[in-house]
Amino acid sequence: MQLNVLEAGRVRKRLSRISAGLLAATLGAHAASAQEYYDQEDPLGTRNDTFGPGVAYSQVDAALLVYQEGSGRVTAIEPTMNLAVHAADGRQLTLGLVADAVSGATPNGAVPSSQPQNFVTPLKAQGSTASVTGASGGSTIIHLPPTPGQIAAAALGRQYTVPANTLPMDKGFRDHRGAATIGWSQPLGNISDIGIGMGYSREEDYQAITANTHISQNFNANNTTVTLTLNGEFDSSSPFGGIPTPLTAMSAQWKTPTQRSKTQLGFVLGLTQVMTRRWLMQFNYSFDRQSGYQNDPYRVISLVDPATGDPTDSYYENRPINRQSQSLYWDNRLDLGPAVTDLGLRYYTDSWGITSKTAELSERIGLGGSFYIEPSARWYQQTAADFFHYYLVAGQTLPQYASSDIRLGAFTATTFGAQFGFRLDGRQEIYIKGEYYSQTGNGHPADAIGQLRQQNLFSGVKSAIVFMGYTWDFH
Amino acid sequence: MATAVETGARITRIERDFHIAFHAMATPCEVRVETDDAAQAAAIAAVAEGEARRIEHKFSRYRADSVIGKINASGGARIIVDGETASLLDCADACYETSGGMFDITSGVLRRAWRFDGSDNVPAAERVRSLMPLIGWHKVSWRAPALVLPPGMELDLGGIAKEYAVDRVLASVMAITGAPVLVNFGGDLCVSGPRRNGDAWNVAIETVDGEGQMACMLQLMQGALATSGDARRFLLRDGRRYSHILCPHTGWPVESPPRSVTVAAASCVEAGITATLAMLQGTGAEAFLEREGIRAWCIR
Repeated sequence: MQLNVLEAGRVRKRLSRISAGLLAATLGAHAASAQEYYDQEDPLGTRNDTFGPGVAYSQVDAALLVYQEGSGRVTAIEPTMNLAVHAADGRQLTLGLVADAVSGATPNGAVPSSQPQNFVTPLKAQGSTASVTGASGGSTIIHLPPTPGQIAAAALGRQYTVPANTLPMDKGFRDHRGAATIGWSQPLGNISDIGIGMGYSREEDYQAITANTHISQNFNANNTTVTLTLNGEFDSSSPFGGIPTPLTAMSAQWKTPTQRSKTQLGFVLGLTQVMTRRWLMQFNYSFDRQSGYQNDPYRVISLVDPATGDPTDSYYENRPINRQSQSLYWDNRLDLGPAVTDLGLRYYTDSWGITSKTAELSERIGLGGSFYIEPSARWYQQTAADFFHYYLVAGQTLPQYASSDIRLGAFTATTFGAQFGFRLDGRQEIYIKGEYYSQTGNGHPADAIGQLRQQNLFSGVKSAIVFMGYTWDFH
Repeated sequence: MATAVETGARITRIERDFHIAFHAMATPCEVRVETDDAAQAAAIAAVAEGEARRIEHKFSRYRADSVIGKINASGGARIIVDGETASLLDCADACYETSGGMFDITSGVLRRAWRFDGSDNVPAAERVRSLMPLIGWHKVSWRAPALVLPPGMELDLGGIAKEYAVDRVLASVMAITGAPVLVNFGGDLCVSGPRRNGDAWNVAIETVDGEGQMACMLQLMQGALATSGDARRFLLRDGRRYSHILCPHTGWPVESPPRSVTVAAASCVEAGITATLAMLQGTGAEAFLEREGIRAWCIR
C-alpha cells in the first residue's frame, strides 16, 4: 500500500504539515522522515495471521470436482485453481483456471419406443476415417450413400442403435474444456470499488469470451453497498457435423454453415445491507438479453405417428434467437452464535415462458476446534418453455420452435449436500463437499399417444458431486 | 534478566532486542532497541527516560513549576514562552484552525464537570454551561513568543505532549545509535525504520473489551501509530453511553465516536492529532478517515 497514491484530503495534508513543522522546529533529524514515510512502498504491513480488509495478502484455492450422473450418463472431472491477490488499500487481482474432461451419454432428445431405434450423426471430424470409433462408445462407422457433388471421404457417418423401451442417448459424448478468467478491482477516488474482468473458455466445439465491469459504492458508514455490474458474452458454436437446419431430419451429412454465434448482454443491480451486527442482507436484480444461435446442434425431437405413438423421424430442434430474462435474488446471512445460516430465495422469468423459483438454506456449524460442517438444501422448480414438447406429431403443422430438452421443460429439483471443513492453521483449510441432485418431473403426460403412454418421457437426471478443495492464505 | 541503572528504567534482553521500560506521563513507556550491546542499551535508557521526564516535567498541567502550570496560574498576565513551547502552541493553534475549533487545548476545564469513571455521574446541563465561557482557543491571545490567557481559562497540552515525547525520544535515541528502535508510550509509538534484517516491527492493536486481547496485528516498517479512545473511560446513564470525547463547542460528549481509532502517520504527533480529530467526528469518524485518505483502524 502506498499512502502517497491515496487521494489525501485537505485536513490530512494540513495535519501532516503542522506536525512536520512542529518536529522540524524542535528536532531536526527526525522530521525529515515524514517525506520518507510517505514515499515508502509499504510502511505498514500486517502480521502473518491477519487476513482481511486493509491487509495485503494472497489466497490460493485449488479444488477438484468429480461429477457423476446416474444411469451411466455423464462423468466429469474438473480441476480448478483460483488465485486472489489483495493489496491493503483494497486493490485486488484475481486469476482463475479451470480444466474439465466430460464423457458419457446424453439424451439426444428423442422419445423411447417399443421398437429399437437407429440414429445417424456426422463423424466428429469432417472426412475422418475409422480412427474415430474409439470415442464413439457402441456406435459404428457407416458408409452413406454418395450424394451428388460430395467427395467420397466425407460420406461417412456414425450410427448408433437404442434398444426398445430405452431413453435414446448418444454415448459418443466426450469433450475437454479449458477456461481462464482474470479480474481487477480497486477503490478509485470517491468510488468504493470499481473493477473489470475478462474470461475465455474453450471446448472442442464451443468457445466463449466474457467481459464484465462493476462499480460499487458504500454508504451509511459502510453498512450499505450498492453495486452495478455489466456483463457481456460472445459465444461461438462450431459443432461436429456443422450447424443443422432446424426442424429437418437428423442425418450424417456435414452441414453448413459450420459456425454460429451468440451474444449476451446483461446487468445486475445489487444492494447489500448490514441489518445488524449479525444479519447481512443482499438483494439483486438481474437482467439479461441473449441473441443469436441458442439451439443444441446435437439435439433432436421425435416425430411420432398420430395413432401408435411410434417415432417415425427425428428432427433437429429449434429455439428462438432472442431470449430475455430477469431475476430477483434475496439472500440473508445470519450469524446465530455457533451457527451461520444462509437463506436465499430467487425468482426468475424469461421471454421463453420459463419461470422458476429457488429456495436455498445452508447452516454452517462450528464443531469446536478447527472443524466445521455445513449442511445445505436447495429446492428448485420451473415451468416449461412455450416451445417445449416431449415430441411432435407427424402430419401436423410443424411449430416454428420446438425442443424436448428437459432443461426447458417443467421439473422440480432438489439438492442436498454437506461440506466438511478443517482449518489446518490460520492460513490453510481443506474442505470436502458432497451433493446429491435429483430432478423430478412428469414422465407420463395425459395427452401421450399410443405406445408413449407406456414410456417414461421424463429425461431428467440424478447426479452426485464431490468437491475437494484446499485454501491457502499467504503474504 | 533485569539490570538496574541509575535512571530507574528496567532493561531486559528479549530475543534480539533490549527492552527498556519505565513509567512516565502517567503511562507505561517502552523503548525497544535491536542491539547486542548492553552498555549502549543502558545509555539509550538514560537518554530516553531523561527526555520523557523532561517533557513531562515541562508540560504537565499538574505541576505548578511546569510551563503549563505557570501559564495556567498567570491570571491574565502576558507570558513570554521558550522556543519549544512556542512550537507546540503554534501546532495547537494550527490544529484548532484546521479542525474548525474541534481540537482545542483550552477544553480541559470541562474535566471540572465531567469525570469518566464508568459511573452514571452525568453533570447537570447548568454546570456544563457555566464552564463554556472558559473554553475557546480564539479567546487566547497568542503571538509567539507572547501569550495572554484570560483568567479562569486553562491550557492542557495532554492531546499532543505524549505523542510529542515519543517523537522526541526517538530522535534523541537515533542521535546516539544507528540501531533499529521502537518507542512506545502507552500505545502511541514510532519506529526508526525496519529491523536490521529488513523485517517490520510487530504491533498489536488491543480490543476495547478484554484486557490484553488482540484485535489486529500490524507490521510497522516506518512511521508511527497512535490510538485514541479508551473503553474504560465513559459514563453510563439510563442505558446511554457517554464517551469521554467532549465537544468543545457544546461541552458534551460527541455523538457515538468509535471506541478506538488507531491512525498510522509519519510521526506520532501527526498520528495522535489525527486520531483525536477522528474521534471528535463522532458517528462520522470512519467517513472522515476515508475521505481524508488516512490509514486507520476503528473499533466500534
